Amino acid sequence: MSDDFANFQRAYRNNIDEIRRYRGIAVIGVVLALVLFGLWSSYFTVQPDEQAVVKRFGKVVAIKEPGLHFKLPFGVDRVQAVPITRVLKEEFGFRSIGAGGRTQYRKENEEREESLMLTGDLKVIDVEWVVQYRVSDPDKFLHRSRDPRKTLRDTSEAVMRRIVGNSLGSDVLTEKRVAVATKARDELQALMTEFDLGIHVNTIELQDVTPPEPVKPAFNEVNQAEQERERLINEAEKRRNQVIPRAQGEAKQIVAEAQAYALERVNRAKGEADRFGAILAEYSQQPDVTRRRLYLEMIDTVLPNVGRIFIMEPGQTAPIPFLNLGDPSPAPAAGSQGGAR
Amino acid sequence: MKSSAVLGTLVVLAGIAAAVLLPASLFIVDEAEQAIIVEFGAPVGDPITTPGLHFKKPFIQEVRRFDKRLISWDGDPNQIPTRGEQFISVDTTARWRIIDPLLFLQRVQDERGATFRLNEILDSVVRDHVSASDLVEIVRSKDWNISPEDLARAQATEAGEEETLLQKVKTGREELVKSILEKSRLQMPEYGIELVDIRIKRIDYVQAVQQRVFERMVAERQRIAEQFRSEGQGSAAEIDGETQRLLAQVRSDARRQAEIIRGGADAEATKIYADAFGADPEFYAFFRTLESYSKTLNEKSTIVIGADSEYFRYLRDTSRPQP
Repeated sequence: MSDDFANFQRAYRNNIDEIRRYRGIAVIGVVLALVLFGLWSSYFTVQPDEQAVVKRFGKVVAIKEPGLHFKLPFGVDRVQAVPITRVLKEEFGFRSIGAGGRTQYRKENEEREESLMLTGDLKVIDVEWVVQYRVSDPDKFLHRSRDPRKTLRDTSEAVMRRIVGNSLGSDVLTEKRVAVATKARDELQALMTEFDLGIHVNTIELQDVTPPEPVKPAFNEVNQAEQERERLINEAEKRRNQVIPRAQGEAKQIVAEAQAYALERVNRAKGEADRFGAILAEYSQQPDVTRRRLYLEMIDTVLPNVGRIFIMEPGQTAPIPFLNLGDPSPAPAAGSQGGAR
Repeated sequence: MKSSAVLGTLVVLAGIAAAVLLPASLFIVDEAEQAIIVEFGAPVGDPITTPGLHFKKPFIQEVRRFDKRLISWDGDPNQIPTRGEQFISVDTTARWRIIDPLLFLQRVQDERGATFRLNEILDSVVRDHVSASDLVEIVRSKDWNISPEDLARAQATEAGEEETLLQKVKTGREELVKSILEKSRLQMPEYGIELVDIRIKRIDYVQAVQQRVFERMVAERQRIAEQFRSEGQGSAAEIDGETQRLLAQVRSDARRQAEIIRGGADAEATKIYADAFGADPEFYAFFRTLESYSKTLNEKSTIVIGADSEYFRYLRDTSRPQP
């Protein structure tokens, strides 16, 4: 019994000796490790677009700007970084997925449930929008609401639906887009301030606002019909603009022709009248001579060209041909020619 | 044994004891938390709401933590008929917080219990309010106003639709929600809960009703499209008719003018002739007839002249006639 104890004592003392031998090195090693760990856990960096909330035993003690900072080591101080200048966005009614330059647009049933809503005239439209916001107070952002993002999303949906529910569907589709977005932004910001979430809403932008999918073709039909109406009217006007000027041109032509006729008629009349007047003047000087002259001149032109001439002696019934210019054989001299008397 | 060894062992034992006891008697309350100390199942003292390091009795007391922050409640959508018996699906959200952790612990134990209770209360209040209101009172707000221009833009073609559009809103969505909040709030304090806000997140038609609404929308659009098309045809026909009228007018005006010009010219020519020839009508007859002989007698003509005609006089006799 005492042998065992003596053995144990001996082994114990040997171990203690060994431990004592390396004691110095071990202690130095442990202390070094602790120091290194302490150094490593006593500093932190804050990125340029962030601020850091430093909590000591759960209590907020500082909010640090970008840069290198120190804190109490060994996990006494905890640091939470919050994006401050970066603009965050929440999408409603659709999702854009995929990073690195190529974003794809996704709209499944879940997103459609977000985007279909009732209008003031009790119709249904499909509204997509994006809320752009940033954190204005990192302490509040972390500690006022358990899930500030969800609060923002729920509130944004409620606000958008209230405003759309108080507007005409056709207005939201067309003219009142900007007004709706502005109003939504203001109301959402008011609620964020009321809940004191430390969120600042930059903008709300409406994306696609359209009639629901099953109704879209009918809406397109209206646009087409409107264009059809314009087309029919334009074509009719085009026809009018072609026909009328042409007719006016033709009208002018008709009038011009009449005027040409008139001019020619009057000038001819004037010419003939002047000619007659001149001849009359000469005639008045020597009437008999002029009359005889004119007569003989006429005979000169007429008789050679006349086809057949018959001369009738007074008392005779059968005429005698005078000139047979066209006849190759001269007529036999009739016995009853009579000769010159 | 040496005293240094005893001392060393004691130091080690003390270190181990401290290492065990210290964490068990210190606790951290985060900025976002509030805590209650529970001793053997019974709450002790006031709730601790200030963040930082706090003390408690080790092992005997334990810490129950509760969120100090705003918590979101999102109910399931309910299908509720309105007063006008239109079935709609209403999805509400609310925000609440624990203001009295002690009461909270006693009444609902934890958040699961709280959510359960909230479901019951809020569903019931919302259902009561919705089924007592018309649909327009739920969808629109109090400042709903339709001007005549708005009415024209809305292109209401259905019967009764115009009336629905102009229907004034007595309470409106905001008042409805405010009333729901007030009613629900009454039951909250006994659970240590503060109901901060409640809003209608979504209102949708029930599937079957939505189908009918879509059909109505489609029919209305088709009516409007048809109207546009017939307007187009009517206007085009009107323009074409006008075109024809103008055409006839231009043509007939031109013809009339041409006739007037011709007539005037004819009249003037006649006058010129009459004035000229009227100076000596007999000479005119002589002169003009001679001209006519020249023109009309040609190789096709046959003339018969008496032998005693003055033209043949010199054939018979060359003497001068007696005056």
